[in-house]
Amino acid sequence: MNEIIARDRAERTLRIPVHRIDAFAARPFAGNPAAVCPLEHWLPDAVLQSIAAENNLAQTAFYVARPAPAGDPEPHFDLRWFTPAAEVDICGHATLASAHFILDRGGVAASGVTFHTRSGPLRVTRDGARLALDFPARPPGPHDTGRAALEAALGARPRAVLKSRDLFAVFDNAKAVADLRPDMARVAALDCFGVIATAPGADCDFVSRFFAPKVGVPEDPVTGSAHCSLIPYWAERLGKAELFARQISARGGELWCRHRGERVTIAGHCAPFLSGTITL
Amino acid sequence: MRIPLYQVDAFTNKTFGGNPAAVCPLDSWLPDALMQAIAAENNLSETAFFVLRGTEYELRWFTPVAEVDLAGHPTLATAWTILNLLGVAHDVLVFHTKIGDRLVVTREGDRLAMDFPSRPPKPRAIGDVAAALRAKPLEIAAARDGFAVFASEDDVRALKPDMPKVAALDCMALIATAPGKDCDFVSRFFAPKHDIPEDPVTGSAHCTLIPYWAKRLGKSEMFARQVSARGGELWCRDRGERVTIAGQCAPFLQGWIDV
Repeated sequence: MNEIIARDRAERTLRIPVHRIDAFAARPFAGNPAAVCPLEHWLPDAVLQSIAAENNLAQTAFYVARPAPAGDPEPHFDLRWFTPAAEVDICGHATLASAHFILDRGGVAASGVTFHTRSGPLRVTRDGARLALDFPARPPGPHDTGRAALEAALGARPRAVLKSRDLFAVFDNAKAVADLRPDMARVAALDCFGVIATAPGADCDFVSRFFAPKVGVPEDPVTGSAHCSLIPYWAERLGKAELFARQISARGGELWCRHRGERVTIAGHCAPFLSGTITL
Repeated sequence: MRIPLYQVDAFTNKTFGGNPAAVCPLDSWLPDALMQAIAAENNLSETAFFVLRGTEYELRWFTPVAEVDLAGHPTLATAWTILNLLGVAHDVLVFHTKIGDRLVVTREGDRLAMDFPSRPPKPRAIGDVAAALRAKPLEIAAARDGFAVFASEDDVRALKPDMPKVAALDCMALIATAPGKDCDFVSRFFAPKHDIPEDPVTGSAHCTLIPYWAKRLGKSEMFARQVSARGGELWCRDRGERVTIAGQCAPFLQGWIDV
């Protein structure tokens, strides 16, 4: 009888690999942490959500292999992202971290990987020692209203204010961006997803910080999606298509950027932190 | 350097319940800054680090921002990890903390029991507790934490505190408690002053809960539930100057970190 119970328990035990990876960083404790869980098949949504809550990182990515289209030598996966509270439509840094695990540590020799997501297919390619995300360009446009509210929220007066998905505040130098101490309640009350603060960099083309208290992220350590707006702005202003950027949050991130018209390339390193097994 | 890491849910026998803690066994102490960075990266309420010294252990706890002097649930998680995952067969584990406390954890069947000081609540004005909890307690007292007693478990489960008002009270945190339906008492614990709106399960709150309920119910052995969203189960004993708080643990993750 005991043997039957023991075997039943062993069969019920579900083992899920988990890797915590710092994206947009060449060393641990920097960049933006994501958990990556490769699955053999999809688990119930409630289990995925519970794992993401228990991980308590900004994002946990889960992926399952699917057949590649005929003639495509690169692997394809279905990919989903969960915050500790909910599933989300798009996440750059957890996608970079997933590609890092597949291409750099999974023994796959392919030059890229395609993820099928709620936001459509996302391809990540090798870019020398880095990995590159291919994202849409979202150039910021004029924004004439509510400048006072933004200045009050940031506690500083930007040189220019633009808008895309996010409000886009341009300062004269990196120190002005580094010194910002936003009033998060006021930032959350602004009519935008988040606030990007940016300036020319001293040892890079541009720096930025990203504040999104409305979605529970007072300051994001490194934000791929903010660079969909940053890249076209700085490419035009500096007259160059290849840019090196730093996100100057406390953890800090490094992004190698390319402007390609309708699309942008955002490349970065990934640093492994933890590897383990979840047992349920 | 490769360091083992275990993530364990304390005060529950179900993964995804209880209060999660990370536990890292070390061969020798790491620089404080590195332990702090690991705790920040883990982003759990506490990461425990321990080093074996002879037959006893040195134990330290870090939140994502600072080292702390005393923490119950990561101690339970550490003891459970040593006894269940690291193959140590002892019935008693002794931990020495940085500030010189000696913590003893004892195996009691399938539970582990911790010995803590008793901190009975006393009448004390701590501010407008009814406004902070948006509900009027039957009784208000305080020890380290404010202590609000309600008539029923449903009253405590239904609380939706006004966190800025809770943070403004003259106490470290606020305990809400009532008699339980299938247990001796239930509680919830709010500590917005320390960036913890609600703690899932709180050993230290039971240093105050146990003497109160032991006296009120006239019994020294009690079974308690912390009725947070994750939920916790605590087996409690009143021993005068000390209390015993026992619980179970459930494993979530085993792995290693490379730093």
